[in-house]
Amino acid sequence: MSFEIAIRLTEILMGFAFIQQSIEHLTVFTNERRLFLTRLILSLLLIIGFQTAWILLLLLLIALAILHRFQGPYNGGADRMSLLILSCLTLVHFAPSLRWQEMAFGYLAIQLILSYFISGWVKATKPEWRNGRALRDVFQFSAYPVSEHLRQWSQSPRLLLSMSWGVILFELLFPFSLISSTSLTIALIITASFHFSNACLFGLNRFFWIWFTAYPSILWFQQRMFISFS
Amino acid sequence: MSFLKPIKLLLPALIPSWNFFDVIAPSPRIQFSLLNSASESVQQWQEFRPRPARLSFLQMLKRMLWNPKWNESLFMVSCAERIMGDATQQLIQHSENEILKRIENELLHTEATFDTTATHLQFRLIFVKRQGTELYEEITFHSRIQPLAIDKTS
Repeated sequence: MSFEIAIRLTEILMGFAFIQQSIEHLTVFTNERRLFLTRLILSLLLIIGFQTAWILLLLLLIALAILHRFQGPYNGGADRMSLLILSCLTLVHFAPSLRWQEMAFGYLAIQLILSYFISGWVKATKPEWRNGRALRDVFQFSAYPVSEHLRQWSQSPRLLLSMSWGVILFELLFPFSLISSTSLTIALIITASFHFSNACLFGLNRFFWIWFTAYPSILWFQQRMFISFS
Repeated sequence: MSFLKPIKLLLPALIPSWNFFDVIAPSPRIQFSLLNSASESVQQWQEFRPRPARLSFLQMLKRMLWNPKWNESLFMVSCAERIMGDATQQLIQHSENEILKRIENELLHTEATFDTTATHLQFRLIFVKRQGTELYEEITFHSRIQPLAIDKTS
């Protein structure tokens, strides 16, 4: 994937992810509605490619206003990834040279890799994750399961132990998928399925869309590394 | 330097920690009560927005695109964690206001749970946590008693 295509694709995907997030705020309070309606309009302009650099800068200002409004992220990790992608894309458009542009976009790709690897590493160091207890707690009493029926999964310790180790190993091994474009494509299909499962089981729909938005950066990064080393 | 605060809030996004679910912390539940006066003591607490017994796969798919109430509930969980965490008084106040405002807004749009004679609202936080092999519930916070701003005559 070329640099230009990867950037444009990320802008379009982020525009759609922001529209999805913003629409969810339009039915609530007036001050929230104003912020997110502005964000929605700017996201539409981003998708059609109108004055992209300035639209990104305005989206970043809106993002700061939203952070101020909620005194932090509204939706935890999903909002943080949204801000990271937005900041990297804005830097790409205002960077003085191609080298700096690639560094800004490469930073996003590296953070995407770290989002899986560090998450896996942290779990691997915790005994409660290694023995399946943590995932059992998630299903048994955390705020995340979307229905009471899902809480019954906490009664299946073997299944949860297998799932824990499946997640830990995959997250730790994710960086090795960069060795070829085929292995990376397979890994990204698995991670997308992982986020889709989290969206279904825990209602984390915004995570699915915003992590998917960062995938073009890693597809470009893998090819850029391959060219550099070959 | 209040204009610097959003920049400070942006930093964890630019240099993320990525330690999702590293520790399964005590989990908050929000319960509320409607009162007939500011001095009335609470007789009965109701769980705010209890989760459904089951969700079909089709409903889960729909929520991929439209999930405002669940995402709002997750924000309220964050507010509850801020209240019980190492937050400043200003942030605790903000979180308490956000929870009260969102419960009241929900009541306005859910007539079945709205006691038409009620004039005030209070919520409390219960944290569920594991100790050994058992689960325990601990009441950790009572909000102020707030007059309802809902115009019940309209």
